[in-house]
Amino acid sequence: MFLAVFSPKGNDEVSLDATLMQQLLRRDVSAFEELYERHSRIVYSLVLRILRQGSTAEEVVQDVFLQLWRNSSRYDISRPFVPWLLTLARNRALDHLRLKSERQRRREEQTEEFPQIASAAPEYEKALDEKRRAERVRALIGSLPSAQKKAIELAYFEGLSHSEIAAALNEPLGTVKSWIRNGLMRLKESLQATS
Amino acid sequence: MNTHEEFRELLEAYALGSLDSADRALLEAHLASGCAECAKALEEARWLVSQLAYLAPNAEPSDILKGRLLQTVRAEAGGDSPQQQAFHTTAVPWWLWAGVAALLLFSGYSAWNEQRLRRTVANLQQHAETQRAERKRLEGELSAAIAQAHEAMIWSDPKSKKIMLPPKDPKMPQLEAMWHPEMGLVVRGWKVPNPGGNRVLQLWLIPRAGGKPMPSMTFWPDANGKFSAMVENPPDTMSDTQALAITEEPVGGSPQPTSAPMWVGGVS
Repeated sequence: MFLAVFSPKGNDEVSLDATLMQQLLRRDVSAFEELYERHSRIVYSLVLRILRQGSTAEEVVQDVFLQLWRNSSRYDISRPFVPWLLTLARNRALDHLRLKSERQRRREEQTEEFPQIASAAPEYEKALDEKRRAERVRALIGSLPSAQKKAIELAYFEGLSHSEIAAALNEPLGTVKSWIRNGLMRLKESLQATS
Repeated sequence: MNTHEEFRELLEAYALGSLDSADRALLEAHLASGCAECAKALEEARWLVSQLAYLAPNAEPSDILKGRLLQTVRAEAGGDSPQQQAFHTTAVPWWLWAGVAALLLFSGYSAWNEQRLRRTVANLQQHAETQRAERKRLEGELSAAIAQAHEAMIWSDPKSKKIMLPPKDPKMPQLEAMWHPEMGLVVRGWKVPNPGGNRVLQLWLIPRAGGKPMPSMTFWPDANGKFSAMVENPPDTMSDTQALAITEEPVGGSPQPTSAPMWVGGVS
């Protein structure tokens, strides 16, 4: 069961990540090991989904965690840790996927070495722990029409632009734009719902 | 022209990285204009997009990866990685900084003190040089005074014998000498022309036994033609000397006369 790999992470868990990152500043190897234990599976799952090759995915995951270790001082502990880590991992994996492509150039323009992420999580983030949020994401996206779901996956996991997705799916550009925006809006509403 | 609402609709796609270049440029220009509402909405959109990671099928990295990572991290934590060196650099204790500051102050003081001492030594050396020159001048004056006194004693002592040295050339002045048996011999003259060139006047003692002339001192008249030359230890005794003679010789004198005597005076 996919979701079984995620242990529940509430607000206490979030603050634990911040504490571990602070310990990382003091070169605490045990804090690094705990961060790896807590998040390596979702990071590896994401990177492997993008790259589809285990050995390359492990190289990227290693790169991401070493960056975490070596540049921990550049992480703002007031920001939500997991979204930041996942954004970092996605950017690294997409860079490997299409080196020096138009998509990479676009990402480089949008992201720095350490990715920009919300300086504070939305209020509704606290309503769900990580396990329940993951369930909501899978359930909501899984409920979308397959073409719409495919459009979102091409954008997120393969880094394609609206035009590229339209060409890949042989759909009008405006339709693709609407699919992606509407899908994300529905995801937001789903995560905001407390029940 | 895009409206604010139209920009809001682009934010999720922008966070996803799927906007085409034209839309992206328009939105970035809008964000750069300082729209706080869109900036805040973009942060939320980035957070929302990050949640799509949970769509990835579950997978677990190998234990080898964990072992490799921990090995690297432990080596860097206990080794000399650049990051750690920087960390250690920033963790220098205050007392070490104080020591460094004290050392710098001491070095600065030492350099200043060395300069000061160098200046003092230079002043002392200059002063000593001045003193040496002054002493030399005084010694010269003293020697001249002693010589003058010595000559005066020779000229005034009744034991001295006066010797007249008439010139061979009638246009030349007459010279005179005074010979004291213990104090020596003095020769002097006035209005004597300078020999010129590299030549000097040299005194000779003509032995009574008819031997070769015995060379004595050399001298020059001053700009006024005056001279006073003293021989403290003449090469022969007065009783053994028949006459005094003066010739012109090359500078440094000659072991025997190289020119005819210009002045000759009998000692008898």
